[in-house]
Amino acid sequence: MLRKYLTIWNIIFLSVFIILFLSLIYPLFSIFKASFINPETGKFSIESYRKFFHYAYYLRCLGHSIFVSLIATFFALIIGIPFGFFVSRFHVPGKSIIKTLGTLPLILPTFIGAEAWLLLLGRNGLLYNLFHRIGIDIPSIYGWKGIVLVFALQFFPYVFLMVSSSISSIDSSLEESARNLGANSWRVFRTITLPIVTPSIFAGALVVFYLSIENFGVPILIGEDYKVLSVQAYNEFISEMGGNPSMAGTLSMILLFITLSVTVLQKYWVERKSYVMSSLRPPEVKRLKPFPTFFIWFFCVFIVSFALFPFIVVIISSITKTKGPVMYYGQFSLENFIKAFKIAPRPIINSFFLATVATIIGIIFGILVSYLIVRKKGFTSYILDVLIMVPLAIAGTVLGIALASTYNKGMIVLTGTWMILVLSYFIRKVPFSIKTTSSLLHQIDTSIEEASINLGVPPLRTFIKIIVPIMLPGIFAGAILMWVTTLAELSSTIVLYYGPWATMTVEIFQRIGSADFGPASAYATILIISVLIPLFILHKVLGKDLLSTM
Amino acid sequence: MQVLLKEINKSFGNLKAIDNVNLLIEDGEFFTLLGPSGCGKTTLLRIVAGFCKPDTGDIFFGNKKVNNIPPHKRETGMVFQNYALFPHLTVFDNIAYGLKARKISKQIIYSKIEKILDKVQLKGLEDRYPGQLSGGQQQRVALARALVISPQVLLMDEPLSNLDAKLRVGMREEIKRIQKDLGITTIYVTHDQEEAMAVSDRLAILNFGKIQQIGTPSEIYFKPLNSFVAGFMGSSNLIKVNVIDYDPQKSLLETEVNGNRIYVKSDKISDKELIISLRPEWIKIADNESNKKVNCFSGKVINVTFLGSVLRYKVEAFKNLIITIEIQDPQFYEIKKEGETIFFQFGVDRPVIIES
Repeated sequence: MLRKYLTIWNIIFLSVFIILFLSLIYPLFSIFKASFINPETGKFSIESYRKFFHYAYYLRCLGHSIFVSLIATFFALIIGIPFGFFVSRFHVPGKSIIKTLGTLPLILPTFIGAEAWLLLLGRNGLLYNLFHRIGIDIPSIYGWKGIVLVFALQFFPYVFLMVSSSISSIDSSLEESARNLGANSWRVFRTITLPIVTPSIFAGALVVFYLSIENFGVPILIGEDYKVLSVQAYNEFISEMGGNPSMAGTLSMILLFITLSVTVLQKYWVERKSYVMSSLRPPEVKRLKPFPTFFIWFFCVFIVSFALFPFIVVIISSITKTKGPVMYYGQFSLENFIKAFKIAPRPIINSFFLATVATIIGIIFGILVSYLIVRKKGFTSYILDVLIMVPLAIAGTVLGIALASTYNKGMIVLTGTWMILVLSYFIRKVPFSIKTTSSLLHQIDTSIEEASINLGVPPLRTFIKIIVPIMLPGIFAGAILMWVTTLAELSSTIVLYYGPWATMTVEIFQRIGSADFGPASAYATILIISVLIPLFILHKVLGKDLLSTM
Repeated sequence: MQVLLKEINKSFGNLKAIDNVNLLIEDGEFFTLLGPSGCGKTTLLRIVAGFCKPDTGDIFFGNKKVNNIPPHKRETGMVFQNYALFPHLTVFDNIAYGLKARKISKQIIYSKIEKILDKVQLKGLEDRYPGQLSGGQQQRVALARALVISPQVLLMDEPLSNLDAKLRVGMREEIKRIQKDLGITTIYVTHDQEEAMAVSDRLAILNFGKIQQIGTPSEIYFKPLNSFVAGFMGSSNLIKVNVIDYDPQKSLLETEVNGNRIYVKSDKISDKELIISLRPEWIKIADNESNKKVNCFSGKVINVTFLGSVLRYKVEAFKNLIITIEIQDPQFYEIKKEGETIFFQFGVDRPVIIES
């Protein structure tokens, strides 16, 4: 009887659940518990929650978080919707380059964007000084305006991608039949095109809102006194005067509540409202008159340049002569790189090592879980399907705090080792691997497997000989996505790392904090290049749009 | 290899997919499972292949019960509806796949593949990938891949449904030729009755998981056992009649429908009410009713369809019934218009009595 249930896939099912329990459910449960325990007495208490809702200070953090996220979402929509319409509906010169460059901001680390704006508009910033010298005081970057600027510029590609893919999926016969029924082109747009695209606009807005509210690097770097939830949770946890695990737990729980709500809304409301269409003939790309074409082209180019400009600034700064916070623009030097490679190469090695280990584990886990979800349909695989997307709904800071406070004592002690970083990266990024592989697996008909079994190859060998090779492009894409986003990870790293295991992101973060912009830019440049090269390879080898997979 | 299915039952939830099916397929026979979609024919095929376990019942290959043999050891060769070619393997590797799994030496693999490629006329395409082949070529690869392992039984699940009409006719003749050449027991699933008649030695008609009739194509066409079979195999006029009298000397049944007398040849007296089946091409056009022949009637043409080789009338007759009549080779025939009256006639040996 026992043998019957001890099939290979059931064992895998069980292992997957154990891993998810240890890396996700149990840690979340422990901070949930911690938030209800008075750190001094060790007894149950709702003191932290009472404090949160009582003190204006904490409520303000909540207000700030929601406010910047809403405003950032608003601007991302304002930029992203027309951008998406223009590039998918009209002839724009250099469109494919504009589209590719336009998607880059969302893969580049946001805190590097923040650094760039500090270099430009910070207290000693290039533009700030420039204008100051001619007697104009331009608004500084600090506070909510700066945060919104960085968010809007880096997250608008999500809106643009969703809008443009939804527009391209409308079969042209829909609009043609509306025309045929007597609607003019404006009416067609208003009554057909727009309503079909609306769910994707909402979906894009929710993604931007989520990313903004969970972001840690940008508000901590340029928020200054403008504290948001993620930053405050980190402060409470890390505080020099002995952290307050209960308050950190409470803040994490509140942040978790918001991010989970957004995700649930996304999953059950937006997905239900969106229309599934099999587009046979994509809509026609119109060629406008020269003047409107120029206008559209200019809009797109301007947005893309504006969004990528900060990263150019960082790259230029990395080869600029520096002395502490003072940048000598115009005088080039490789000193920053020499420093990074020679004096402190460890963070670079750390980053590559940790990202690679986490990615390898993620690939194997991702292949197995995808197979379970797609092929072994049932209640358990449904639970698995839901569970595996939970990491996408948890702010990095929250997960970091959860893991750190779970594995600092007890049977398994991981805090202070590199393994806890790998664990965090693995669980945070494995959904990418699962998404890319499972979406490919969905397209592989079961009859392919059956054909192999029918020809005499047993099920598990069929999986290895037929399914894995066919999934290879998806696995490859997932791996690159995991690796690249892990390299750029800051929010959980900052909570979990210790001395020798500082990563590039930590190094950049700390050097910005001490206004050591030269080396910070050098590391940032290395990071940018390390992120772009694999994506470029992915693009060339698979001809895959990196972002269609995200 | 003889295949025997014994009292097979299979349910999916409340749906009875297979309802007490018994079948004996002879060695070397080309046997077809024919029925509308959802009738259980594919499920039955998958039960033979081992992809689907019956709730009750036994499957025998020859004398050997195969119920508990897993699909990869059952030695059946299956051709899937969508071909299920491995997209990452070449034509050669697709066909060699089953042989390699059997640890056959390279030399033998080469010679076997050469032979089978010859048979399915795919020479020269060994290094192509499935994506570079036309539908018909993919079909041949799938067939070759299933045949090359010399399976005990060849299973084909609607193999031609993805091809266009012209190619389908060519391919089915080829499948039949190859099957006869190799003498391999074949179970073939289709919903296309013409295809089924063209390829099969015998066939079984399924509906709602139940076998309706088993027989050769001509048996089933000319002697349908029930109205489902009569309607599914070709088209048929089904007329409900009342029995009035029986003349045992002439073996003639006198029946009536709405006041019209229809005479039907029959060996025995039958129930009070019965259904007769009358194929459209069995009905002839008569000059007029005045000659008072047996089974000669008039009706009003309500629809005319010209199909080239056939002219099809829909005629309102017997007061309120719609009768379909087909005229073969209508070239020198004066086509009636809608609304005109038409006379038609059929022999007493034509109507087939169907138990209702």
